[in-house]
Amino acid sequence: MEYNLNIDEEKVLVDALISEQKIEAKIGDDDYNISFSSISDNQIYLVVNGQGVNAYVCDTEDGKTIIIDGRAFFVQDADLLEQNSTRKKTALNKPSEVTPPMPAVVIVVSVKTGDRVESGQGVVVVSAMKMETTLFAPYAGIVKKINVNEGDKVMPGDILVDIEKEEETLAES
Amino acid sequence: MFKKILIANRGEIACRVINTCRDMGIKTVAVYSDADEKAIHVFSADQSVYLGASEPSMSYLDMDKIIDAAKKTGAEAIHPGYGFLAENPLFAEKCEKEGVVFIGPPCSVIKNLGDKITSRKIMIDSGIPVTPGLTSTEADFSVMIIEAEKIGYPVLIKATAGGGGKGIRIVNSSEEMEEACSSASREALNAFGNNEIYLEKFFTKARHIEFQILADKYGNIIHLMDRECSVQRRHQKIIEEAPSSVLSNLLREEMGDIAVAAAKASGYVNAGTVEFLLDENNNFYFLEINTRLQVEHPVTEMIIGIDLVKHQIEIAYGNTLSLKQEDIIAKGHSIECRIYAEDPEKNFFPSPGKIDFLKEPSGPGIRNDCGVYTGFEVPVDYDPILSKLIVYAETRDQAINKMIKALKDYIILGIKTPIEFMIDVLDSKPFRNSEVFTDFIETHFSEWKKDMTFANIAGFAFIIDGLSGSKTQSAGLSQEEDLSPWQTLGNWK
Repeated sequence: MEYNLNIDEEKVLVDALISEQKIEAKIGDDDYNISFSSISDNQIYLVVNGQGVNAYVCDTEDGKTIIIDGRAFFVQDADLLEQNSTRKKTALNKPSEVTPPMPAVVIVVSVKTGDRVESGQGVVVVSAMKMETTLFAPYAGIVKKINVNEGDKVMPGDILVDIEKEEETLAES
Repeated sequence: MFKKILIANRGEIACRVINTCRDMGIKTVAVYSDADEKAIHVFSADQSVYLGASEPSMSYLDMDKIIDAAKKTGAEAIHPGYGFLAENPLFAEKCEKEGVVFIGPPCSVIKNLGDKITSRKIMIDSGIPVTPGLTSTEADFSVMIIEAEKIGYPVLIKATAGGGGKGIRIVNSSEEMEEACSSASREALNAFGNNEIYLEKFFTKARHIEFQILADKYGNIIHLMDRECSVQRRHQKIIEEAPSSVLSNLLREEMGDIAVAAAKASGYVNAGTVEFLLDENNNFYFLEINTRLQVEHPVTEMIIGIDLVKHQIEIAYGNTLSLKQEDIIAKGHSIECRIYAEDPEKNFFPSPGKIDFLKEPSGPGIRNDCGVYTGFEVPVDYDPILSKLIVYAETRDQAINKMIKALKDYIILGIKTPIEFMIDVLDSKPFRNSEVFTDFIETHFSEWKKDMTFANIAGFAFIIDGLSGSKTQSAGLSQEEDLSPWQTLGNWK
């Protein structure tokens, strides 16, 4: 069976022959002989070409985080992602926005409606876990609307400032 | 001795203090906020008192509520941990007034030393070398520029009430001054309720060396050797060790004497830390005295073989210091790694969330001061420290190897941690060679990429994890909750 994996966003094609507790796999020109046992819901013990390895696994929304020898990898099934992509496409196609990376409090809004901003210009300063972070304009354009006030609590996904993209101003209107 | 102590803190440090209280046969009272209803310190204590909403001002910073909780539960003393109210002179004063013992220095000492300007003045008057810079606060950035030109760029803009790396900006040229002053001042106002800033010289090639001190109420002061804390990100230490690998015995003795003199000059009582910068030519400058138990205190405990919290409690109770300077002999080497919920690939940005799985390392010479557990939701409201991993070994090299092993055995799933970044730092040539300055991370690890050696095996683990029927249907988790163990057990192998 062929697996089309994304490992930390690198595409890896695995050709795997799976039998009871054993896998014969091929990645590129390399052959792997694997036996394994599930230790718990979060731990798998693998013997790969004679070398014992512990893998710690947890499911995330669209993949699995796997820790081996202290290294964390994010692994996804690329085929499964493809199937789900229609659902996600709208989210992916949206231009990047002025939104906090985590729940935060707005400290300063440094632009006002009507301002012209350059790509990469700081527009909002937020504070999360006592750390200040500046959110930047993703592209050059005109500030259409400020959706927050200083002191507001904001979440990832909240659009703090609407910016109309410069090149698209004409095309859209 | 005290019968009962309230710990006005949360997470790993609250647990740390609770552990010593238990060793001493003292009952403990925990306090908590909404976000910490299920925090580990709450169910590690003998009693707990709910304070209020998650915002620190409504809970862990609410002095009256905390003192009230101590009185209601009959706690005779309050241990503030670090952060929150630990260095708040007003809190120490209120405790004094209300007849509750504050486990820390007297409020006047906290006040003087907490104000970096006042503390610089005290030290200058006592002949202790301080970093070049201003000895008064300055609101006008153009004056800052004049001063900076006098001592030479780069300079550091610092909050006079600062701490924990907040309210600090490096300024390389006059053009950066205005923005640096206003943002440092604003951050300081947010973090400390005080927007005053001043300026001092920034040393690009410096080591951060600090001395632990203990002082009783009767004028006995000793130091407990040095720690080196040069590996920092965002001006906050992340890896600390003891002893420093660069101090000669002569220099160690000289700095230790000055540390004791600095403590004396300020009238210090209880545990504290005298911080120095050591430049390339072995000149050292007094930075500040931290009037609290430091995050990195365990490395000192390991090499000296004592419990600092126990001494804090005894001193606060009014006992005479049971240790003399000649009793203090350092042995072996200890390293601490601070494990935060943060993403080393995204400039160490905080990464709160639920811990899906946690496995702590163990073995000889490994200590993990941990404040979280599997299933715990790391709140966004507080500093994202999860635990402190500490190792002890005979030599520095052995301690490094032990720490790498311990980090590899420390599994935290569900949130991001700097564990793998730290593995690479410890294993790097400059760290192993002790070529560690405060710019270490910027210099050697600004382009850090993780090691991909095991990427393919991670792929196999992914495939295997999808095979067994037991947990592949994560989409149907909500149904799983209704199943009895007898139904789910069938899939366990």
